[in-house]
Amino acid sequence: MSLKPADPGFFVGYFKKVPPAVRTFSLALAAALVAALGGAALALAVSPEHPGSGAYVNDLGDGSLTGILETSPYPLLRVPAADGRPARAVMLAGPSKIGVGQAAAGLDGATVDAGGVFVRRGDLDMLLVGGPVGLRASTAGMSLPAPAGPEPLGRWRITGEICDGKCAAGAMKPGTGLAHKACANLCITGGVPPVFVTTAPVEGAGFLLLADADGGPLPARHLHRTGERIAVEGVVERRDDLLILKVEVVLP
Amino acid sequence: MSVALKPVGWNRNKLVYDAVLIIGAAVYILAFLNLAPMLSEGAAKVDAPIQRMRAFGSLAFLMLTLVLAIGPLARLDTRFLPLLYNRRHFGVITALVATTHAVAVLDWYYAFSPTPQLLALFTANTSFDRIAGFPFEILGVAALLVLAVLAATSHDFWLSFLTPPVWKALHMSVYGAYGAVVLHVALGPMAGGRDPVLSALVAASVATLATLHLVTGRRERAADAAASPPAAEDGWIDVGDVSEIAEARAIVGAAPGGERIAVFRTKDRLVAISNVCSHQNGPIGEGKVVRGFITCPWHGYQYRPEDGCSPPPFRERIHRYPLRLNGSRVEVATTPVPLGTRLESFRIPGATAPASPVPRTDPPGPRAAAPGPADDKVAS
Repeated sequence: MSLKPADPGFFVGYFKKVPPAVRTFSLALAAALVAALGGAALALAVSPEHPGSGAYVNDLGDGSLTGILETSPYPLLRVPAADGRPARAVMLAGPSKIGVGQAAAGLDGATVDAGGVFVRRGDLDMLLVGGPVGLRASTAGMSLPAPAGPEPLGRWRITGEICDGKCAAGAMKPGTGLAHKACANLCITGGVPPVFVTTAPVEGAGFLLLADADGGPLPARHLHRTGERIAVEGVVERRDDLLILKVEVVLP
Repeated sequence: MSVALKPVGWNRNKLVYDAVLIIGAAVYILAFLNLAPMLSEGAAKVDAPIQRMRAFGSLAFLMLTLVLAIGPLARLDTRFLPLLYNRRHFGVITALVATTHAVAVLDWYYAFSPTPQLLALFTANTSFDRIAGFPFEILGVAALLVLAVLAATSHDFWLSFLTPPVWKALHMSVYGAYGAVVLHVALGPMAGGRDPVLSALVAASVATLATLHLVTGRRERAADAAASPPAAEDGWIDVGDVSEIAEARAIVGAAPGGERIAVFRTKDRLVAISNVCSHQNGPIGEGKVVRGFITCPWHGYQYRPEDGCSPPPFRERIHRYPLRLNGSRVEVATTPVPLGTRLESFRIPGATAPASPVPRTDPPGPRAAAPGPADDKVAS
């Protein structure tokens, strides 16, 4: 079958006179192009997976949380139970793609005040340290009870995705997936606590803070696997409301 | 053409062409960024910078697909030829849209870090030995660099400076850029199956372009392979009957080596000339004699029938071939005369009226064209 139509008349772009057949076809093509682009834009804009409901939450205002600081595997604020709310372990990060390792240095085990805003999605939240208080040794002179020791939950094989806890909590929407991999790596190498967002709840939680098998920070070699769905094996422990996965094996 | 170059040679048709492109791009961006969030909660929840990078990135991909479709579409259906004339502007606008996408990515995914953005672009992800997790951004950078070079060298100054074969070879790298973009999308936003429409779009783009190019290439190869029958004398070929040639139009024959030769009829004279335009290898035989000049259908490059030279001040030249009639059969020598040699056109004995138009036929047969309006005016 030939696609060649009847000759519509010879036309080159610098001719002043446009043959009627060329004009009609070109106008129809232009209208179809604009309409198709508009339709394609709508289809493509609404197609991607919902980015989740993460958001910044200013629970503290200009105030602060007071608790015991732990720096391993990443800075955590152990806030004791109060006002009917159980004890919790709050992950800490900086206001951009950096952690608070520097500010936390020398404060391990100390009672500290931490101000800033939370970024939160579901049960995953992180305090982005900042504001007038920042992270400092507590000035209130409070004597807090020692945090409970880690509760071992055994060895697990879990499926999910390694990402930085800040973007996954809603600092970016979407803040997971391979398109976000480089950003996640920048965050994690900057000191933002990495998390493993699971495909199914583990002990009721949708994520776990990641650590090396020895309890230290996540080794850089695991950055090759961020953003993709993988299975990992390791020991899980609980500190207050936070699960920590000490990664032993990342399955190929 | 090759002299008196201006940065952009505007005319009304180019302005309309560009206006349609810009309106189309604006409609796309507005629909993506403003209308979709009103229709979809998911789209409304996406970060505005990420929505911007998605909008400009997908638009650049669509535009690149359209740019690459214009060539084969124009070969298969001459109604698409007007798109070819200003295709370079299409490419330049595509490069600008792609650059906007890249800037949006740098200013979001690579911002807010102590590592400088450009350094982070090349160091944040180094999983080059993996497919899942491959630093797909590098492929986008490579494609953007190619598009930028092509946009910067799109003007005819560069065509003249680099010479047409080099320029053409350079601009064929757009296919490499397209391949890099496809991988960039497939290994990045498409990975994980989180965007079914994007996946369908990329698949449709690849399938459409592959089909168009395969069909067009098959037709061209068939035309190249189907040499015109030899005439009684060695070194001559029979390209068709003189009655097949409409006034101001041509039929095209093929020498044994595949060299195509166009035979134009103008005012009861016949002229045999190379079918390959010296500008961008356009099919001159599908052109027309306009105000006495043989005119290429792609960009309107013109040549004098008597010597195959462009009129001053232009300097392009193409080969002319000796021609004769054997009864009503047009025979053409397969060896051209030297470039620029004046060769009197062949007068058709007893002919006084234009030939009747003959419908075009598919390759490998000779191609003839019906006449267009007689009053085309050349604006240049």
